[in-house]
Amino acid sequence: MSTARMTTAPMRMVIAAGLGLLIVCGVQAPVRAQSSRMFVAPKLSTNNGAEIYQHICQGCHMPDALGAEGAGKYPALANNPDLKSSTFMALTILGGRGNMPTFGAKHGAGAMFFSPPALSYEQIAGVINYVRTHFGNHYADPITAAQVEALDKAT
Amino acid sequence: MAEELGNSMTRRRLLSMIGQTAGSAAMYQAMNSLGFAGESTFTGPIELSGAPKGASVLVLGAGLAGMVAAYELRKAGYRVQVLEYNDRAGGRNWTLRGGDRYTELGGAAQECKFDPGLYINPGPWRIPYHHRGMLNYCKLFGLPLEAFVQVNNNAYIHNSQAFGGKPQRFRTVRADYQGHVAELLAKATQSHLLDAEVSAEDREKLLASLRNWGALDKNYAYVKTYDSSDRRGFAQDPGGGLSGHPVLSEPVGLTDLLQSHLWEALAFGDYYDMQTTLFQPVGGMGVVGQAFARELGSTIRYNAKVIDIHQDEHGVSATFEDRAAAMSRRTVGADWCVCAIPLSILKQIPMNVGQPMTEAIAAVPYGAAVKVGLQFKRRFWEQDEQIYGGITYTDLPITNIGYPSTGYFGGGKGVLLGAYLFGPNATEFTALAPQDRVKKAVEYGSQIHPQYHEEYENGISVAWHRSPFTLGCFGMWSDEARAQHYDNLCRIDGRIVLAGEHASYLAAWQEGAVTSALDAIDRLHRRAVAAGAAGAAA
Repeated sequence: MSTARMTTAPMRMVIAAGLGLLIVCGVQAPVRAQSSRMFVAPKLSTNNGAEIYQHICQGCHMPDALGAEGAGKYPALANNPDLKSSTFMALTILGGRGNMPTFGAKHGAGAMFFSPPALSYEQIAGVINYVRTHFGNHYADPITAAQVEALDKAT
Repeated sequence: MAEELGNSMTRRRLLSMIGQTAGSAAMYQAMNSLGFAGESTFTGPIELSGAPKGASVLVLGAGLAGMVAAYELRKAGYRVQVLEYNDRAGGRNWTLRGGDRYTELGGAAQECKFDPGLYINPGPWRIPYHHRGMLNYCKLFGLPLEAFVQVNNNAYIHNSQAFGGKPQRFRTVRADYQGHVAELLAKATQSHLLDAEVSAEDREKLLASLRNWGALDKNYAYVKTYDSSDRRGFAQDPGGGLSGHPVLSEPVGLTDLLQSHLWEALAFGDYYDMQTTLFQPVGGMGVVGQAFARELGSTIRYNAKVIDIHQDEHGVSATFEDRAAAMSRRTVGADWCVCAIPLSILKQIPMNVGQPMTEAIAAVPYGAAVKVGLQFKRRFWEQDEQIYGGITYTDLPITNIGYPSTGYFGGGKGVLLGAYLFGPNATEFTALAPQDRVKKAVEYGSQIHPQYHEEYENGISVAWHRSPFTLGCFGMWSDEARAQHYDNLCRIDGRIVLAGEHASYLAAWQEGAVTSALDAIDRLHRRAVAAGAAGAAA
């Protein structure tokens, strides 16, 4: 299927339907890439760190980034001294750590229908920079997509 | 006509067309590699006997694996104690009914508002006929089973970007797909394109089989005939008398069919795990866990959050916090331990096992899944669309709509599985508040069933990564991780053995939990007997 085909009228209608949903549900704007395939793993089409956090990370780390605890726990990202290292965060997102799955394509994210979504280097940089400057974190040194890519290639 | 078209059909075109189905084939392979199509190793009820006098076993987790282990070990003569985090047994074997409350991680609480008799199974919902371990325990506990409808030819396959977003009946997609593929193969055969593969003796048999399989006409064409309508359905069904003349239906063209990608959903019912006959317990899957809990009675200690597991040469101890008593701590011990805690939790609990098992526990991330149950004022899918059980597949994030395989023709309200998502779709739904998942399921589902707008009443959602007792849905093994760690995960380490779907090749299936528990206790029992004999000799 050509890329030209992917911008036909029905697809725009789908996006419009998604926007309708925004009003109905009062939740995030649609940021999904579209495809005519039925069971293709969808990818986020935004590089905006806040949107990526709201669509993926807060599922476990929670909207307030305070984490949660039941029989086991998800760590808080708010006021988290581990986030001093953007490299630590990038490697965690790329390769997974403990209970956290990988979001790096090299490590299997997005490979299968059941896999977690694969994030691009731009998206990983975007969400790291967002988390490190929100939720009580004040780290002034942003990471770039090129740096994330270099880390991915070096590991 | 057929000959003329046949000549225009090159092998390259044929192979290219077949190649277009590779997308779904790749998905099936992915599912296989996850163990989704594995076979049960259950051969019959386990017969353990001769537990060493006074020997005891601590079982951690009252899901199916833990309860199978506890039930069988107790029967064999062991003193058994089970610790369970929840205030109920079953784990992922679970049914939500009206009045049930569920609080997910993050604190969002939901109350199920379904009418009496209506339910959803947030976890497993079907038992294939060859999952004999599960069926054995259902029979043993006298639980009535009913057929679970997997393939419903009158349910839909829906692609929001094909056929103007109009859902197509599974029946027509399958008939048209088979018909067109049969016609193409017949043309290739008649044009001698397959002579290298098909002998002259086989040629006529192949053509006859293609006509039979694809409902082709006498010229091996898939066209509007009584035979093709008898597969894909009629524009007007045959009936009696003067009003009974059937009206034939027009097949969808090959290009439209291929470009629609609807064929991606055709093969689900062909998986070994989803082939007819499948079953469900009457009243919801959770009755299985409840039956085990009745058998085990006070053997199970509820509200016990395990925070430490320790073994030495004398035995195993587990320290837990009592969630019903201000998290006061207690330690209990036994000679042996069957640990059926999900790896997502276990990897956070200190436990002195060797490096191979520790690494294996850490190597398995958990897959994401979300289910949404929706109650409607009436069973419109039956009344308006003649859909009785089965599943509609859609490219929308909700992925599946499951119709209840029970209570047909009921005059009252009805509950649909309004969404069953995996992978990235599930990850995104997990990030929503529970009520927003329900709203989205209603919005998306109304694109397939416009009746939603009028008939929807209430809903409940379970996102497995927000589940306090699993932190995920199922152990997601990669081929590499399985090759490196699986055996180390399953081997007994000192006095501890692990069990659960994560310790099986039947990922996410209850049969994986059952057979892993039976395999684990068989080995543990033999070790205990050997140790007991050695102890007696000394």
